Amino acid sequence: MSYQGKNITVSLISFTVILGFYSIRILQMIWFGSFNSTNVFRLWGIVIILSIVITIIATILTHIGSSIVQAVKTGEENPEVDDLEDERDKLIDLRGIKVTYIVFSMGIFLSMLTYVLGYSPLVMFSLLIFFGITGQISGDISRLVLYRKGF
Amino acid sequence: MSRGRIHNNIRKLRFFHGEMTQEQLAKKVGVTRQTIIAMEQDKYSPSLELAFRIAYVFGVPLEDAFSFIFEEETNSSNQI
Repeated sequence: MSYQGKNITVSLISFTVILGFYSIRILQMIWFGSFNSTNVFRLWGIVIILSIVITIIATILTHIGSSIVQAVKTGEENPEVDDLEDERDKLIDLRGIKVTYIVFSMGIFLSMLTYVLGYSPLVMFSLLIFFGITGQISGDISRLVLYRKGF
Repeated sequence: MSRGRIHNNIRKLRFFHGEMTQEQLAKKVGVTRQTIIAMEQDKYSPSLELAFRIAYVFGVPLEDAFSFIFEEETNSSNQI
């Protein structure tokens, strides 16, 4: 697997964990009757900060992991990690972003629809971030598929 | 308009250039080894610039390294 492939896999795992955490917390709030604006917006903040921090840490760890694997393979003290991004990587990235935007746009539409149908604005805000993370996961999956199958 | 795909002779050209490795070719043209692998397996059609770079490395005209195959609806194919 290429460096980009590893990076995408790590991102996919990270965002799946974040989505799981977010979904469980939202369900807990609904079950225990604490689904109010203070808790929902605090969760928003936690999830956004978690996403940023985990993405940075995952990128650093992937780089370190790749360096260690390369050092074991080649026996060099200062191995070069092949993290070059070429035209194919950029094209795959663009297609991944397109999938992310499509899923997120549909999510925004559905979220707005819940508000139009008379649900609380908190439902709309909760769904917005849910579809944001789902969009990111869909984009990562499409990138991995394009790396495997080609286009 | 008939569909088509880009075919290449990179594997053959590497063989005739002292069995040049994919890694060596990738470094010479400035892409990753995975891109060379994808091109050899016809899973990726390179940009015009990259196609010219590859032809230049092998010292052959572009049409010797790459060809375009028209896939007619009748399944018969014409190659340029």
